[in-house]
Amino acid sequence: MRWVIVLAVLVMVVSLAATGSAQQKLKAGFIYVGPIGDYGWTHAHDQGRRIAEKTVAGLETVYVESVPEAQAEPFIDKLVQQGANVVFTTSFGFMDGTLAAAKRHPDVIFAHASGFKRAPNMATYMADFYQVYYLNGLMAGALTKSGKVGYVGAFPIPEVKRHIGAFALGVRAVNPKATVHVRWIFEWFKPAAAKEATAALVAEGVDVLAFTEDSPTVVQEAAKRKLASFSHYSPMQKFAPQHTVSGQLVHWEKIYVDFLSKVQSGKYTAKNLTNVDYWWLLAEGAVELGGAFGVPINPAYKARLQAAQVTTADLGRLSVYDLVMKRQAQMANPKMAFDPFTGPIKDRKGVMRVAAGKRMTVGELNTMEWAAPGIVGPWAKEP
Amino acid sequence: MIEYLLDTVVRAIAVGTPLLWAGLGEIYAERAGVVNLGVEGMMILGAFFAFAVAHTTGNPVVGLVVAGGVGGIAALLHAFVAVTLRANQYVSGLALAMFGIGLTGVLGRGWEGIPLLATLPEISALTYLSVLAAAGLWFVLYHTRAGIVIRSAGESPAAADALGVNVYVIRYLCVIFGGVLAGVAGGFLSVAYRPSWTEGMTGGAGWIAIAIAIFAGWNPLKAIWGAFLFGALYYLSFRLQTWVPPELLRMMPFAFTILVLAATAGSRRGEGAPEALGLPYVSGQR
Repeated sequence: MRWVIVLAVLVMVVSLAATGSAQQKLKAGFIYVGPIGDYGWTHAHDQGRRIAEKTVAGLETVYVESVPEAQAEPFIDKLVQQGANVVFTTSFGFMDGTLAAAKRHPDVIFAHASGFKRAPNMATYMADFYQVYYLNGLMAGALTKSGKVGYVGAFPIPEVKRHIGAFALGVRAVNPKATVHVRWIFEWFKPAAAKEATAALVAEGVDVLAFTEDSPTVVQEAAKRKLASFSHYSPMQKFAPQHTVSGQLVHWEKIYVDFLSKVQSGKYTAKNLTNVDYWWLLAEGAVELGGAFGVPINPAYKARLQAAQVTTADLGRLSVYDLVMKRQAQMANPKMAFDPFTGPIKDRKGVMRVAAGKRMTVGELNTMEWAAPGIVGPWAKEP
Repeated sequence: MIEYLLDTVVRAIAVGTPLLWAGLGEIYAERAGVVNLGVEGMMILGAFFAFAVAHTTGNPVVGLVVAGGVGGIAALLHAFVAVTLRANQYVSGLALAMFGIGLTGVLGRGWEGIPLLATLPEISALTYLSVLAAAGLWFVLYHTRAGIVIRSAGESPAAADALGVNVYVIRYLCVIFGGVLAGVAGGFLSVAYRPSWTEGMTGGAGWIAIAIAIFAGWNPLKAIWGAFLFGALYYLSFRLQTWVPPELLRMMPFAFTILVLAATAGSRRGEGAPEALGLPYVSGQR
C-alpha cells in the first residue's frame, strides 16, 4: 500500500514538472481603443480574440477596453505584469506607446494594428477593406437612379480616403457619370452625427449610401427612407434585411490565429519581427464581401444587379452581378489578377496619380491623400 | 428653398426632442437648488432599459415607462447623496454619469447587434408632448404656488423652511422628476431616434441638455428654442459642408446655440442662476 502512494506521488511530481517545462504558456493581451460593445472596430477585434482563444491550443487571453490613445503604456505594462507574453495594440494612435513599451520589455512580443513602425519584437498588421469597397462601389453604381451616391466618412485620413477612393472607382466603373457625395462626422463612433449626415445626404438627392462609422445607424436610416446601403465592419444586414445590398466584413481572427500559432511554434520570436507586416486582404480571407457572413450579395438585390449590364475592357459585356463575382474571384486569387488601384488613374482635379499599368504600393495606399474622380465634397489636405 | 427649410425643421425637431426632455428635467432639479451633472448617466440607463424592455415585451411605450423609472431611481441616488448626505453635488453628479455609462456597458454586453422590431416613429406624441410639457412646466414654475415653493427651495431654502416648506422633500422630488425626464429622453434615443443599443450611444447628449438648461436661464420656454436651435444647427453642420469647411462647422451648433441663448438672456429678475444652486441645505443653519 505504501508503495502505491509513493508511486502516485512520484507520478504527480514528474507530470507536473513535465508540463511546466515542455510547454511555455502563451498568454496574449489586447489593448482596445473603444468599448467591445461598439458593434464596429473594437467589437470585431474582440470577436477575433475569442475565436483565436478557441482555435489556438493552450492560448489564454486578457484584454483592456476603452484605452485612451495617448495612455496605452501603463495598460501595456499592466498586461505584461499579468504575464502576457504577446501584446496586441489595436489602434493607430497606440503606435508610439507600443514602440516605447516594446523597448522596455524586449522579451515580450508586440503587434500593432494599422501602423507602420516596427522593431525586433514588434510587428504590424492590418486587414484592409479597399478591395471590398471597390466591389461595393460597382453595385452602388448600378443601383443609383439619381446618379448620386452618398458616403458618411469618419475622419479625412488616408485609410478612409483610400476606402472612399476605391468605392468611387467602383461606382464610376459601372456608371461613369455618377458622383459620390461625402460628409464628414469627425468621429469613429457617433450615431447622432451619422444619422444627421445621412439625412443631409438624402436631402441632396443621394439614393444609395455607404459609410465608415461604428454603428448600424446609416443602414437603419437609409432603410427608413427605403434606400439601399452597404453595411460596415460588423454584419448589419439584419438591421435592414430588405435594404442592405452588401458590405464589408472583417476576420481579424485569421491574423490573430496565424500570428499566435507562429509564436507558439517558435517561428516568431522577440528578435525577428522587424519585417513582419500583415497587410491582409481578400486573398488571405481577412476581409469578406457582404452585410452578413456568407452572404456576399443580399438576394433581394440579385435580380436588379443581374439586369444591369456593363462593358469592361478585359471581361467584355456582362451583368454587374457577374462583374462583382469575377472581380472578387480575381482579387481573392493570391496572384491578384485585378486591383482597383491600377493605373491610369487621375485624381478629381485631373492630376495623374497612378501611371498606366502601374499598381499602387502598400506604402502609397497607406499615405493616399488625393480624391478619386467623381467624389464631391470637402477633402482635407487635398494635394 | 421651402424644401430646404422644411427638411431642417424636421431634423431640428428630431434631434432636439431628447435634448428638450432632459433639459426640462435639469431645469427643475436646478430650480430647486440641486445641480445634477449625471444627466448623461441617467440618459444612457434610460436608453439601455428602454431598448431591453421594448425588445423583450415588444412594446416601446413600456420601454419608455421603464426608462423613466430607471432614470428616476438613478436620480434618487444623487438626491440621497446631495440632499441627505450633503456631499458635493458636482462630484456626485459626475459619479452618476460615469456609473450610468459603466453599468450599461456591462449590462449591454451582447445586446449591441440586435435589431429592434417594436419602435416608435421619430416624430411622435413624445415630440408634441415635449413642447406642451415645456409650456406646462413654465406655467407651473411662474404662475402657481407649487412653482413658488420650488423656486424658493432653490433661491432661499432657509426662508422657505421658515415658511413651512420642506426643502428636502421639494429637492428630492425635483431631482427625481429630472431623472425621470432624462430616462425618457435616453429611451427616445434607443427606441425612436435610432432603434438599437450600442455602448455609449448617448454620445454626450446629456451634457448638451445641461448646457441648454443653463443657457436657457433655467426657463422652460426658452429651453424649447435652445433644444430645437441646437437640433437645426447640428443638422446644418452636415448639410452645409459643401459650402463651409467641415472643420469650422463642427463647433457651430455648440457655439451658436450658447451665443444666441446668452444674447437673449435679459437682466430681468429671475433669469439668473438660483441663489442656492449647488449648496447643500441644513435645516436651522444659514
